[in-house]
Amino acid sequence: MARYLVKRLVLLVAVLFAVTFLGFSAMNFLGDPLFNVVGVMAELDCEGIEAGTVEDTSMDRARSDCETVAEARAEYHLDRSVPVRYVLWVSDLATGDLGTSFQNDQPVSQIVREKLPETLILLVMAQIVSLGVAIPWGVIAAYRANRAFDRGSTVASFGLLSVPNFALGVVLLYLFALRWQIFPSAYESETTLGLLFSMILPAVTLGLPLAASYQRLLRTDLITTLQEDFVHMARAKGLPAMRIMFRHALRPSMFSVVTVFGVSTGALIGGSLVVEQIFGIPGIGREIVTAVIRDDFPVVLAIVMLVACTFVVINFLVDLFYSWLDPRVRTR
Amino acid sequence: MSARGRPSRRGRASRQRLLQRFRIVRLMRSRRGPEPGGGSEEAEVVRRRLGFGFWLAVIWLLAMAFVSLFAPMLPLADPTEVAFGGPRESPSLDAWFGTDALGRDVFARTMHGARISLAVGGFAIVFGMVVGGGMGILAGYYRGRLDQGVGFVFFVLLSFPALVLAILITATLERSLLVVSLTIGILSIAPVGLLARASTLVYAEREFVAAARVLGARHGRIIVRELLPNVVIPMGALTLLGMAVAVVAEGSLAFLGLSVAGDDAISWGKMIVDGAGLRDLQNSTHVAMFPVAVMFLTVLALNFAGDRIRQYFDVKELPF
Repeated sequence: MARYLVKRLVLLVAVLFAVTFLGFSAMNFLGDPLFNVVGVMAELDCEGIEAGTVEDTSMDRARSDCETVAEARAEYHLDRSVPVRYVLWVSDLATGDLGTSFQNDQPVSQIVREKLPETLILLVMAQIVSLGVAIPWGVIAAYRANRAFDRGSTVASFGLLSVPNFALGVVLLYLFALRWQIFPSAYESETTLGLLFSMILPAVTLGLPLAASYQRLLRTDLITTLQEDFVHMARAKGLPAMRIMFRHALRPSMFSVVTVFGVSTGALIGGSLVVEQIFGIPGIGREIVTAVIRDDFPVVLAIVMLVACTFVVINFLVDLFYSWLDPRVRTR
Repeated sequence: MSARGRPSRRGRASRQRLLQRFRIVRLMRSRRGPEPGGGSEEAEVVRRRLGFGFWLAVIWLLAMAFVSLFAPMLPLADPTEVAFGGPRESPSLDAWFGTDALGRDVFARTMHGARISLAVGGFAIVFGMVVGGGMGILAGYYRGRLDQGVGFVFFVLLSFPALVLAILITATLERSLLVVSLTIGILSIAPVGLLARASTLVYAEREFVAAARVLGARHGRIIVRELLPNVVIPMGALTLLGMAVAVVAEGSLAFLGLSVAGDDAISWGKMIVDGAGLRDLQNSTHVAMFPVAVMFLTVLALNFAGDRIRQYFDVKELPF
C-alpha cells in the first residue's frame, strides 16, 4: 500500500505540473502574453508616452493605462525569461495569488471566493440528486431485470443521456418555472431555504443525465452480484427482497459508480458552466464565461487552473478510496 | 501476458473475428443477422442484430447529413435574412418552425445549423482517431518509455474537465470553424487513444504479428498492415458515439457564445440560447424548442446507432 501510495503521489505531482504548464503555455504561447493579460492596452506605446514623443488625445488615461500595463508586467513577471516566469507564476499560484482581473482591478482570488460557494452547492446538490435517483432506479431495474420496467428504464436512461445539458435545462426551465410555475425562474439568495429551493431545478438538470449513467452501471453490477452465493443464502433465509437488495447486494455493486464518480465530477463542472448560465446563478461557471467574452484572461486562466487542479485531486482521492475498497486495483 | 500458452483459445478468438466479418456481409444481404449457433449465449445472439431502430436512426442521420451538405441549394428561406412574416411568428405552413425574435425562419436556421454541428463533430472525431489513434497504436506497440509518455499525455488531457479545457483554448484564439473543430478534436484524443492502445496491446500478442516479425517485416509494416486493420474496427465502432459527444460539446460551446463567431455561423446551441431568454421562452416557445428537438433527435440517433454498432462488434463501453 505504501509503495502504491508513493507512486500515485508522484503521478499526482507530475500531473499538477503538467496541468499548470498547459495553462501557462496557453497564456504565453497562444498569442502575445501581455495582450492576453491586459487586452488592447498592450498595444500602447508606453515608452513613447513617457518620453512625451507620442501625442495621445487623452494623456491622463493613457498614463493610467500604462501604469496598468507596467503593473501587469510585474505581476506576471513578463520581463523575465520563460522558464523563470513559469516557476514564479506557479509559486504565485501555489500561494493563492491568482493574479488580478485587469478589467475591474479585483484580485482573482477574491472573485473566486465570492463565486465558489454557489457552484459548490450546485455540484453537491446535483450529486445528491443523481445518486438519490440512480440508486432506487438501478435497484428496481436490476430486481426485475429484462422485464417491462427494466426495458422501459433502459430506453429512458438512453434518452436522458442523449439530451444535451443545456437543452434539458431550457426545457425544464420552461416547464417547471414558466408553464407550471412550481420553481422560481430566477436565482434567489436572500434566505438559505430560498437559495436551496431555487437550486433544485439546476441541480436536477445536472443530476438527471448523470443519474442515467449511474443507473446503467449500477444495474449491470447488481445483476452480477445477484447471482452470488451470499445472495442466494439471504434469499434462502427468507429475507424480504428489498432488504436483500439494499442491505446485501447494493454495497458490493457500487464499485463502478465510485470509479465513475470522479470522472463524472468533470462532466458536472462542465455542465455547471452551462446550467449557471441558464438559471442565472452567479457562480464560477458564469464568471469564467463572462471573463472569456470580455477577454479577461487572468480570470479565465485562474479559474481553469483552480478547477483542473481540484479535479485532479478529486480523482486522486477517488482512486485511493477505490483501491482501499478493492485491493486488487493496487497491483494493476 | 500469458496468452501464449493457450493456442486453442486464440484460435477460437480469431475464428470468431473472421465470422464477425462475414456477418457484416451477410447482414447487408439479408438483414437477418447471424445464425443462432454463432454466439455462445442466447443473449448475445439477440444483441448481434442491428434491429429496426438502428435503421431508423441511420435514416435520420443520413437525412441530417444530406441537409447539412446541400442546405444552400435546398429551397429554404434565407436563414440570416428577415423572413416575410413578422418576428416571433408561430409555426405555420409558410414557416414550419415559426420565426425567431428577428423574424428569421427557424426551420431554415435549424437545417443550416446542422452544418456546423455535424462538421465540427465529424472533424473532431476524425482528428481524434488520427492523432489519438496513432499515438495509442505506437504506444501499445513499442511499449516502454514511449508508452509511459503517451499515457501521461492522455492522463493530463483527461485531467481537465472537457468543457473547461475547451474554454482555455477558445479564450486565447479567435473562434473560427477550424479552431473550434480542433479544440473539440483535442478533447477526443485521449479517449480514442486509450482505446487504440488497449486493443493494440491485445493484438500485438497474437500469432500473426509474431509470424510477420519472423518473416522479417519491419515495425512500420507490422503496424500498418497487421495492427491497424484490427485496431480500426473497435475505433470505428465507437465513431458515432464519439461524434455524439462532439456534437454536444460544440452545442455547449455555442450555447455559451464561445463557438464559431459571426452572424452567418448558425449553430443549434446558439439558436437555443437565442430563444432561451425568459420572455422568449414564455411567449414564443417554438424558437428554442424546435432546435432542442432536432438536436436531441440527432444526438439520440448518433447514440443509438453508435451503441448498436458497438454491441455488434462486441466492443466494451468506455467509462467516459
